[in-house]
Amino acid sequence: MRMFNILRPGDCTLALTALIVLLTAAGCNNDPSTTSPAAGKGAGEERPAFLQIGEFAINRISPARTEVRDGAGRALVLIPREAPMPADCAPNQVVRVPVQRVVAYGDFDIATLRALGVQETLVGVTRSQEHWYVPEIKRGMEAGRIAYLGDASSIDFERLKQQQPELVLTWDPSIIPLLDALHIPAVVTTTPQAMCLTARMRFVQFLAPFFHKEKEADAFFARIDASLRDIRARTAGVAHQPKVMWGDVYEKRVMVEPGNAWVGELVGLAQSDYQFEDVFGTSCIEITVERFLYSGQDADIFFTYRTGSMGASSKAALAKLNPLIKDIGPLQRGRVYAPLPHYSQSGDKLDEILTEISAILHPEVYPGYQLHYFAELPDSDPIAAKEASHDRI
Amino acid sequence: MKPVFARLWNRLSSINLTVALCLLLTMDLVWGYFCLNRRTALFTPLNDMGLIPWAQTYGSHNLMATGWFFLLLALLALLAANTFACTTSRVAQLLRAKGPGSRQRLALKLAPHIMHYGLIVILAGYLCSYLFTQVLTSSTLAPGSHLSLPGAGGQVQLLAVEPEYYQGERLAFWKNEVIALKARLLLSDESGQRQAVLSCNRPVRFQGYSLHLIDFAPKSLNGMKMKTRIDLHVRKDPGVALYLAGMALFSLGLVLYLYQWIVHREAHK
Repeated sequence: MRMFNILRPGDCTLALTALIVLLTAAGCNNDPSTTSPAAGKGAGEERPAFLQIGEFAINRISPARTEVRDGAGRALVLIPREAPMPADCAPNQVVRVPVQRVVAYGDFDIATLRALGVQETLVGVTRSQEHWYVPEIKRGMEAGRIAYLGDASSIDFERLKQQQPELVLTWDPSIIPLLDALHIPAVVTTTPQAMCLTARMRFVQFLAPFFHKEKEADAFFARIDASLRDIRARTAGVAHQPKVMWGDVYEKRVMVEPGNAWVGELVGLAQSDYQFEDVFGTSCIEITVERFLYSGQDADIFFTYRTGSMGASSKAALAKLNPLIKDIGPLQRGRVYAPLPHYSQSGDKLDEILTEISAILHPEVYPGYQLHYFAELPDSDPIAAKEASHDRI
Repeated sequence: MKPVFARLWNRLSSINLTVALCLLLTMDLVWGYFCLNRRTALFTPLNDMGLIPWAQTYGSHNLMATGWFFLLLALLALLAANTFACTTSRVAQLLRAKGPGSRQRLALKLAPHIMHYGLIVILAGYLCSYLFTQVLTSSTLAPGSHLSLPGAGGQVQLLAVEPEYYQGERLAFWKNEVIALKARLLLSDESGQRQAVLSCNRPVRFQGYSLHLIDFAPKSLNGMKMKTRIDLHVRKDPGVALYLAGMALFSLGLVLYLYQWIVHREAHK
């Protein structure tokens, strides 16, 4: 009571009035660029001057200057191709747009180029031709337009230089000093924390200003957004909420998708329980085997990182690879799904992938759905089962 | 005019205002806790882009999540003003009341007020840091590569990275993970060359800049093989001197206060 007695209304009023004034002043944004259409766009095209996409950001300063922040927190400046070099930043921070020649490390980066319709700008990749399922890239490599630059861990920089890229999209910041020496700007497209669902959907809007493809990015985002609305609507009234886990146990390590990753969010959005919702951090994060097994006890559905060629051909094959996981719920009585080889290269079909995951979680609201990106694993390999039945005979 | 100023000064130096501000600060920080927890990515850039650009971009476009921070600034500004007014009034009283030959006693009586002034200087130092610090964010070094410091003739070269791996048995999941890292740097300018060791909590100072280790690779002997690199933030922070001065002032007040407390205790034995 004493505390309240010593507070006089006058003091509180003084404090609150000053606060409101200061808060209003701080919150007000007098920068006209935040409210006016971004320069350099067509008439009637309104774009936010500032757009944050997870850990990425775009700040449209003027028609001749856009500042972006990449996944590693590095600042880059986008200027028109013919504009003079700005004096207030290092040359390796400047990207001339629209970019016409790109080297990309990640499958999702390349899928995003396809979503923007600028796949013809791609001149270098870090995966050899036989590992590609995208026809345009296979054709580009056959024609010699797209070069295989070597594995991501051992890039052939001579080859990279020959391709004359104007931009490198990479997940590996360790190449930046060498790229600086070659005067090639780089954008780090991965982030220390896993991308949330919104960031995954909007990443296309981050890359759009590099190619002047903002309209295409907005259309792509709208398509994904519509598929999410559909998922919400379809799964709103489902009776059963399956328990889902996404990851795998390797020889020495257990890796899963954390709860803050887009798959964790999607599972929750589709009226299901994600077993690693409380795990926070980077995509493909390491957890203890005990935690994995504990969460697996009552799980219904397991998405493994492994494809068929990596051993995920059946539940029995997975159990043989990792005897530790043979008793988890999905292997005993539930369902296990493995990504098909082209899944990781299909980020430009994100709407279809989201819908497919939802159809896996709730087949009852997607009658007759045919899987395109995942395969449900049978209990045992058909050949092994055949041999076993032969042995019995 | 004078009574208005005097009334305002009295209000500003009121202990009731201090209590009101402390309550509001507590409530605001509870709000801030949830916002920081849920929208961490919004606040990370504040460390390198400065307060004004951050307020114009991340801050003003996400007021529901960042409003608490602006409120915190306002509350801290008021608290600093309140502390200054309150402390100055009290110091003026003490100076007016001092008798002859009591310089030592006066110094001891001023101890808490010195701490209060120290707190204000520390807050001013932090504000200065957030307003005026220049940060170079695009600084990745691989062994052998170097970076040039802007506006200075200095160069920083990474000579070697010396990771220390966990080799204990108690935390099995930490086995072969990097638990400490030392980066050996060669710092060159027109006056010559010297080597320095950079680690996570040990920035290197060179030509008015401080180099901070932000990230590195590889972090483990297991798993995916990553190429060796360190990521740096290169900062020029004019606020450091101010908040170090504030901390020195606060420490001086604390020492005097402790001395006064010990003398007082001995006198009452």
